[in-house]
Amino acid sequence: MKSPITFKVAKNGIVLTLDPDAKFNRIKEALRGHVESATNFYAGADLYINIAENSFKIDQLNKIVNIVRGYKDVKNIIFTSDVVKQDTVEINNEGETYLINRTLRSGQKIKKSGNVVIIGDINPGAEVIAGGDIIVFGKIRGVVHAGAGGSSQASVTALKLEPTQLRISKKIARPPEESGNKKSLQPERAFIQDGQIMVEDFEI
Amino acid sequence: MAGKSLVITSGKGGVGKTTTVANIGTALAMMDYKVCLIDADIGLRNLDVVMGLENRIVYDIVDVVEDNCRLEQALIRDKRHKNLFLLPAAQTRDKTAVQPDQMKTLVEDLKNEMDYVVIDSPAGIEQGFKNAIAGADFALIVTTPEVSAVRDADRIIGLLEAEGLKNPEVIINRINAEMVSRGDMMNIEDIIEILAVNLKGIVPEDNIIIVSSNRGEPVVLKENPKAGKAFKNIARRITGEEVNFISLEDNSFFTKLKKIFSFS
Repeated sequence: MKSPITFKVAKNGIVLTLDPDAKFNRIKEALRGHVESATNFYAGADLYINIAENSFKIDQLNKIVNIVRGYKDVKNIIFTSDVVKQDTVEINNEGETYLINRTLRSGQKIKKSGNVVIIGDINPGAEVIAGGDIIVFGKIRGVVHAGAGGSSQASVTALKLEPTQLRISKKIARPPEESGNKKSLQPERAFIQDGQIMVEDFEI
Repeated sequence: MAGKSLVITSGKGGVGKTTTVANIGTALAMMDYKVCLIDADIGLRNLDVVMGLENRIVYDIVDVVEDNCRLEQALIRDKRHKNLFLLPAAQTRDKTAVQPDQMKTLVEDLKNEMDYVVIDSPAGIEQGFKNAIAGADFALIVTTPEVSAVRDADRIIGLLEAEGLKNPEVIINRINAEMVSRGDMMNIEDIIEILAVNLKGIVPEDNIIIVSSNRGEPVVLKENPKAGKAFKNIARRITGEEVNFISLEDNSFFTKLKKIFSFS
């Protein structure tokens, strides 16, 4: 079943579109679930709630307001009826890119709504979550999650891809139990194709 | 001239922190440095037992912090070396009995009297750990060739760097040359590759360590055991000497070690 809420990341913030055909209760539940899982993922961003084709009773609107207040550290929450479609872009082409110039060690966690570039390794026990792409000039051995806002266009690229777990959008992949040649550095890129996470050699 | 303080820590328990502190401290004292060992593992003190000084404790670190006694009164002089002292932990209290800033002052005071202050950290990353590292000028991390110990060491390095203790160095304890050569144990290269820090020493596995801990006689006091030699070498490296890594039996292993040494 299609989710009654969809998220897009636009230049000026995050656009949340509510499905006009969905029942209010489903919208409510989906929103609540999303707020819980997002924690402070959208910190500092503007949140646009697109209610263009919906009609809500005042108490329903109140409920929505109460739920979306749960997004932590969101800069502004704006109700809009503009169809922002033409302006929305998949985040991995736009959005901010964060540069991290060190190795991430066990227990360290990076969570950004844009792209993340790391010069260094992601050690086992470290975690990187990005709304967009993750590019690592080093080895990935920890957990990475690209396209965490839902973008299935996101990808993960590294000089050596040996993650504990690799997630893109809502897909999760584990490396094979028997890992191959541990010594050689072969840049690889992981992305979603036909609903599955694929890994291919990255030719420079 | 003020001395230097170093903390021996690991994250994971049971990798040999206390043994390392006892041996490095004794080895430094044997080189005629004035040394004080601090047991920061309040509530689970062990260093006194490993040093064979348990029955001489009157005051402890919490007594000093709470002004029940003067610092000099709590220091226990080692029975073998007159220039080696131990500041024992309290056994009947817990980690919250001391605060990091109190620890810092304490270590500063000791540094005025000593050449080296060696702090034995408890396992874990909570307050006991924070106390232990508060007064340290640099850190040595003890790990064993196990994935879990290396993982914890990596976490600790990250926490130390966040606390401003840059460039910690690692001691790999309990290496079993035979198992490494069979490929059954993580080798040194793998460990250093993940941790990306300098190697300070390699200590071979040796049952005599257990015997010496039980007797309260650090293994460096003996002439023969390789583990004792390894700890002595670490102590010499701490003083700034350049000492080659000891060979652990077979040659292929030694070549690997040399390789690491050449790029570290």
